Amino acid sequence: MSFRKPSVLPGFGLTFGFTTFFLSAIVLLPLAALVLSAASMHWSDFVRVVSSPRALGSYRLSFGASLLAATINLVFGFIIAWTLVRYEFPGRKIIDALIDMPFALPTAVSGIALTTVFAQNGWIGRYLEPLGIKVAYTWVGVTLALTLISMPFAVRAVQPALQEVQRDLEEAAETLGAKRPYVLWRIILPTVLPALLTGFTLAFARAVGEYGSVIFIAGNLPMKTEITPLLIVIHLEEFDYQGAAALGVVMLGISFVILLAINLLQAWGRRRHVRAAH
Amino acid sequence: MSITLDQVTKHYAGVPVVNDVSLDIAEGEFFVLLGPSGSGKSTLLRAIAGLSGVDHGRISLHGRDVTHVAARKRGVGLVFQNYALFRHMTVADNIEFALRVRHMRGRARRKRRAELLRLVALEGMDDRLPAQLSGGQQQRVAVARALAHKPEVLLLDEPFGALDAKIREELRRTIRGVQRELRITTVLVTHDQEEAFAMADRIGIMNQGRLFEVGVPHELYARPATRFVATFLGAANLFLARRTPDGIQVGGKTMGMAERSPGAPEYEVVAVVRPEEVEVAPARETLGSRYLGHGVVDEVTFTGALERLRVSLDEAVHAPLLAAGDGDGSTALQVTRTRHAHRGFELRQGQSVAVGLRRVHVLPTPLSSFTACATTAELADALSRQPLLAELVARMKTRVALRVEPALGDAAQPCAGQGEFFGTTVIAAEGDNTLRAEWLLRRGVKDLLVLPAHAAPPQRVLIHWMGDAARSATLAVSASVLRHVPAEAVYVGIFPGHLDSERHSHGMRELLDARSEAQATHGLEMRTELHFGDVGKELTRRLAEAPAQMLIVGISELEHFADALRALLDGGRWPVLIVQRGAP
Repeated sequence: MSFRKPSVLPGFGLTFGFTTFFLSAIVLLPLAALVLSAASMHWSDFVRVVSSPRALGSYRLSFGASLLAATINLVFGFIIAWTLVRYEFPGRKIIDALIDMPFALPTAVSGIALTTVFAQNGWIGRYLEPLGIKVAYTWVGVTLALTLISMPFAVRAVQPALQEVQRDLEEAAETLGAKRPYVLWRIILPTVLPALLTGFTLAFARAVGEYGSVIFIAGNLPMKTEITPLLIVIHLEEFDYQGAAALGVVMLGISFVILLAINLLQAWGRRRHVRAAH
Repeated sequence: MSITLDQVTKHYAGVPVVNDVSLDIAEGEFFVLLGPSGSGKSTLLRAIAGLSGVDHGRISLHGRDVTHVAARKRGVGLVFQNYALFRHMTVADNIEFALRVRHMRGRARRKRRAELLRLVALEGMDDRLPAQLSGGQQQRVAVARALAHKPEVLLLDEPFGALDAKIREELRRTIRGVQRELRITTVLVTHDQEEAFAMADRIGIMNQGRLFEVGVPHELYARPATRFVATFLGAANLFLARRTPDGIQVGGKTMGMAERSPGAPEYEVVAVVRPEEVEVAPARETLGSRYLGHGVVDEVTFTGALERLRVSLDEAVHAPLLAAGDGDGSTALQVTRTRHAHRGFELRQGQSVAVGLRRVHVLPTPLSSFTACATTAELADALSRQPLLAELVARMKTRVALRVEPALGDAAQPCAGQGEFFGTTVIAAEGDNTLRAEWLLRRGVKDLLVLPAHAAPPQRVLIHWMGDAARSATLAVSASVLRHVPAEAVYVGIFPGHLDSERHSHGMRELLDARSEAQATHGLEMRTELHFGDVGKELTRRLAEAPAQMLIVGISELEHFADALRALLDGGRWPVLIVQRGAP
């Protein structure tokens, strides 16, 4: 092996082999199969399926709601993580454990629970109804479901980073005359920015792929409250495997572009610091 | 005054971590707060910076009361042990932080930055990131950053802690140079006495939240007032000695250092002998100093410029050594010698030598040692192991002697002998305490501690005296006790009769006098309270209000003492230390 260098840690060959094998078997092969399946369609069929008004509507809802959910989690995840890291209060451990609940719950259960609460006759929905706010069976409900299931990712990504922001930094800034908002904006946020972006990325990725919880609260009206994963399932139920694969490829492409963009943004941020140093 | 602290107190979970600290720091002074970890020195610095509030007391900077002013408005610069630089900002941005916050224009900002970088000798480092600098350079940036907004006070919290010896030395010189050039009032917190000596105009020594002593370095070293400072600031041998009319006696031999005071009563004191003030010679005749006795060399260690010896004194010397060297519990005398002395008289382990003392310093503390007194040897032994007494003994680095008085409390019987009472006598609280206390006090006991079996270290010590003749001694004893117990001190003034405006103003005057004497003469910071009524009842009521309290009560004569305190003493619920000093 030409790229093998002497290292204190033995077993590089073996672990690298495993890594390649697992990535291929679990990630790359199924993705390749998906692309191949879609590629067996005629080009015009492909375009017709992926650019049908129903498909376009579902992209808009899926990616729009996911981005919105990830953004909401960026803000509230930061606040929750901040509260958990910075303050000592009774029940903190319990709240900390509650954060992970959406991980453990079958997503369908989350969806049913949300629908119970936000339906027109639900606990909260009945009070929102007279105000003209409809949650269940609208895009608002979809966003709400996506926010719920992707929330742990945002919190858990930011928490360790916040733990590492030394109190000293804030105190130093304070003695230098900075007010709290200034300290938050100029000292704390820049320090945890990479973690925030990671949290955003994870939350977004999770939300885009979500299916179970959304279908209960979305109402699934074509063009309005139908997400792309559901559309794929509909194609599958009609035994239109190729159509499903075509939509899957489009999702894959858009997700990849967005995630790549976020990663590049992060890398650019890091490089900017290094460049400033020379 | 540049910085004035007045009775600053900060509690953490009920325990005072900064306990009644009052201090004045002059304009342009370099002041070092020195103390072991957990002594409250960093908390005090943070309180000055405004990063932690205080529970009691006032802080003024240049005459402006800033007790309730936010940190960002106090005009202080703070440097942290771990630099606390903003890692995502360049050196330039770090230094300009305080200037940007103040909306200073770009050109003025750059000019100030260049000035500061020159001051800390980091010219041309503007565009580096903190991660690209060495530890010493990072701390220089931190100093420059803390000075950017021209603070009136510079605070340094263990700034050299994370640096290696050589860099530390260099940075020390830089900081001292910057301080001299700007003439900025500076407070440095450290646990390193060498650092304190090297940098300080004055040193304040803290332990258990209290500011023990303040002074210029060589004065503190030569004439410490407390055991803690004597042993913390360099090594010290502590002897239990006697002050006699002829001078100071160590092991029965007069060292003759103190002024003679014929006719004065003999009493026990604690004497400090620095290792370099001990002389060893082949024989008594060749000693250049006062002969103490013979000893055997236990250990010889070569440390470069100096040679360290441990010498065990012969049994026959009878010079009780309370602590030696760094207070590690060894009972061998610690001696240091120069290379010159070493060449003149080479020593090996096991050799017998004559030991002399060149200079003996007597601590002004009135509490020297304890004597557990009971009717049988078993009871006295059990008393000597009472937890509070054992803790006091350990903290004061002293010892407990045992004394058996079979007739204790029997008014018709004399003492069983064994000579005079020295130090503080201790009896167990078990019922007829007043009777036994009076018995001992009539037979020459000056300081008497009545100790309940389960008494724990107190969180609050109440101080009261009956008769002005006992005032000074009571304050001195209280100051000594409070240096060893992390408790708050409260002087309880009690006046007979009911409250009226004339009595009230008279009482307030008494309180203020007591407080200022405690502060000025004994370095004791205490709160004051004013009560009206019966002395015994008021004290009992006040003691019963909270758990873990102790009473120190001064008396000047024995006539009314028993009547006033009988109920309180016989109840036996609280430790009571009685200080008896008659009118001269």
